[in-house]
Amino acid sequence: MFTVADMLLPKNQALRLTRYEYRLVFEKKGRARYISHLDLMRAFQRVFKRAGIPLWYTQGFNPHAYLMFPLALSLGIDSSVEPLDIALIEELTFDDLKDRVNAHMPEGLRIVSVGKPVMKHTEIAAAEYSVRLSAALGAEGTAKAFADFLAQDRIEVEKRTKKKGINLVDIKPHITLVSLGHDDEAALLGLRLPAGNEFNLNTNVVFDAFEKFIGVEIDTIYTTRTKILTKSGENFI
Amino acid sequence: MKEIKDKIEQLLLKTQKPARYIGGELGSVVKDKSKVDVRFAFCFPDVYDVGMSHLGMKILYGLKNAVPNYWCERVFMPEKDFEALMRRNGIPLYALESLDPIRDFDFIGFTLQYELSYTNVLEMLDLAGLPVYARDRKELTPIVVGGGPCVCNPEPIAAFFDLFILGEGEEVNLELMRLYEKMKPEHPTKEEFLREAAKIEGIYVPRFYDVDYNEDGTVASITPNVPEAKPKITKRVIPDFDHAYYPDSFVVPFTGIVHDRVVVEVLRGCIRGCRFCQAGFIYRPFREKKIDTIERETKSLCEQTGYEEVSLSSLSTSDHTGITELLTKLSDYTDGENINLSLPSLRIDTMSKEIVDRIAAVRKSGLTFAPEAGTQRLRDVINKNITEDEIIRTCRLAFSEGYQTVKLYFMLGLPDETDEDIKGIADLAQKVVDLYYEIPKEQRGKSVQVSVSASTFVPKPFTPFEFEPQALPEEIKRKQGFLLDNIRSKKIRISYHQMNVSVLEGILARGDRRLADAIYCAWRKGCTLDSWDEHFRFDLWQEAFAECGTDTRFYANRRRSYDEIMPWSHLDYMISRSFLIRENKKAHEAVTTRNCAEGCSGCGVKKECGGVYCG
Repeated sequence: MFTVADMLLPKNQALRLTRYEYRLVFEKKGRARYISHLDLMRAFQRVFKRAGIPLWYTQGFNPHAYLMFPLALSLGIDSSVEPLDIALIEELTFDDLKDRVNAHMPEGLRIVSVGKPVMKHTEIAAAEYSVRLSAALGAEGTAKAFADFLAQDRIEVEKRTKKKGINLVDIKPHITLVSLGHDDEAALLGLRLPAGNEFNLNTNVVFDAFEKFIGVEIDTIYTTRTKILTKSGENFI
Repeated sequence: MKEIKDKIEQLLLKTQKPARYIGGELGSVVKDKSKVDVRFAFCFPDVYDVGMSHLGMKILYGLKNAVPNYWCERVFMPEKDFEALMRRNGIPLYALESLDPIRDFDFIGFTLQYELSYTNVLEMLDLAGLPVYARDRKELTPIVVGGGPCVCNPEPIAAFFDLFILGEGEEVNLELMRLYEKMKPEHPTKEEFLREAAKIEGIYVPRFYDVDYNEDGTVASITPNVPEAKPKITKRVIPDFDHAYYPDSFVVPFTGIVHDRVVVEVLRGCIRGCRFCQAGFIYRPFREKKIDTIERETKSLCEQTGYEEVSLSSLSTSDHTGITELLTKLSDYTDGENINLSLPSLRIDTMSKEIVDRIAAVRKSGLTFAPEAGTQRLRDVINKNITEDEIIRTCRLAFSEGYQTVKLYFMLGLPDETDEDIKGIADLAQKVVDLYYEIPKEQRGKSVQVSVSASTFVPKPFTPFEFEPQALPEEIKRKQGFLLDNIRSKKIRISYHQMNVSVLEGILARGDRRLADAIYCAWRKGCTLDSWDEHFRFDLWQEAFAECGTDTRFYANRRRSYDEIMPWSHLDYMISRSFLIRENKKAHEAVTTRNCAEGCSGCGVKKECGGVYCG
């Protein structure tokens, strides 16, 4: 006998109600740094397809593999702490899943660890970055300039909104300097910035403001995301 | 080349879609330089998004890299923003795999797919730090080679190239690289190498031919000036197409490209013989792959790439002799793997309803027809064998299945076209709209949209219309207006391709060597990426033609006599002059020619070339 569910069944798609959820932590660096967020989604879909991972497909009329990035990573930033949530139709061991996926990854992308999702996406509140920064001021000079930059009363940036047009926002209260130093070539910064759905501050906003402050062009910036944190400062898992 | 990589990385964040400029995609081939003897920079003279979609590059990339000591890398034209950044920061044009400058390669090869990419070739050579004219590149390397359909008349750009490869590249590319590998230790001069290369079947070295002109400007003679140069260079064909090399892996880009899917070539050549269509003649004879081969290639590529869509490539997929079995087998596989099977160039009239349903279930896109001309008489002139009945029958079926959009492609300015024929375009579109309203309301979709696309006809070499004048720009404009005046329904949407693009194409397609300086001049004025509407500067092209004293009408708008020596007369694409003349005469009598499957019409392609219907 036909049930309603059978009749509404999308083509080639058996209805799967059981799903096994996993949270992967992956690394994105080197040439892969320039993959945009949208392209990253597509890249992972193809990785899973190649690896023959039994992904769970959404059960609508336009079935697509369930993949979810809890937090976007800006183009050009390295990271080894990026979470990716997936659902499968059969259970795999963490190691098996990790090895099979890694065997099919393009250069610069790699699964670091696999676990079950513990926290909700909405618990993400901040992220930490380590930054190598060089400008004509020299390594030490740049580091010192950054300290001066943060010593200002206010750091105002222009923010575009759909409703109000452009308005000025003070980002200073949102920037936490975790560390500051330099080596022979560059200033080395550790920054904590708000992240997640509620309020997100990108590193490039901070460095655009810094560039304006010092009045010379920044030569090189290498940014690595090192931590994703909850409101209470725990690592997001 | 650590230094280039560092420089590039600093610029990537300042450009649109930076993933196009850094390589590292899955399937890209990186080799140990110390173990490589011949390096080939395969250049597609357009942006990454377009070039990465090109099947020929995928084939030749795989083919060359399958040889352990050859390394073929990809190179594309940068967008204007990145090109400016490269120039400002002193970054020469580099290849995506090694990020090495291409001026240090053994070969730089361009695939010439359309005339409007010619200025990009000059731009890329210049960006590489090389003189654009071949005569100014005195060293042996890089050897600048060209291939692809435009090479059937490469004369306008001959001055920029060391040699051209005529026809299919699977064998001759390797023969050329082997010759180079063999001669390299002897440190030959460029001239010595090119003389040896000229002996290879299908290789044309333009500097070894002198062209003389008559007083009226037409070509008087094309004469070889070294003993190695053959009076006629014949294109290469792979007779055993089923066993031809086909890659088992593709480079899978990160960023979206035009055709982002697995492509499997099912057949080569075309049986139809539409008189305006260059591809229909220069890729002859019609050869096909066995169903098992196609199935195997499809599976292997889907597994390697992880793509969720596969497309069959050909000039007319439904002409495959086993099309029903092929589609049944392929859709069995793709259905099971959640992969979409897409079939461009499919003639629905020949298909069973069951197959149409299976394909349609994957994606219900709109219907597209290419009647090309508005009346049966003019369709007979151009030998386009699609009848109004077929269009109406298929549209009726489609509308009653709920389809709501139909696209109709036409050309304006075809030989012997009258206003009656142009009115026929409007009438046909109207009939399709009326047909929709004849379908009962409960069966048809919510509304209907008929899109009419009217491009401008460009006469091309090696077609029966190579003798024909292209309609003058002012005449095209009038025809466009006349068509618009005849459209009555709001359900019909008319679009024109930019006319001046076709005008330029018309000049370049049948041009001779004297056009080289005008192309150079247009490029110096800033013409690049001409095939992009936002970059196309026809005014600059006109300035260039004026400064170089080029009479564009001589090339585009003049009727050529049957005995005129064409600038491409020394190139043999196996289509005989007598066949083209016969076809041209029949066109003017509005008499059609049967297709290859119905019987041979004696186009000149030899039986040994492996054609399914030849001999």
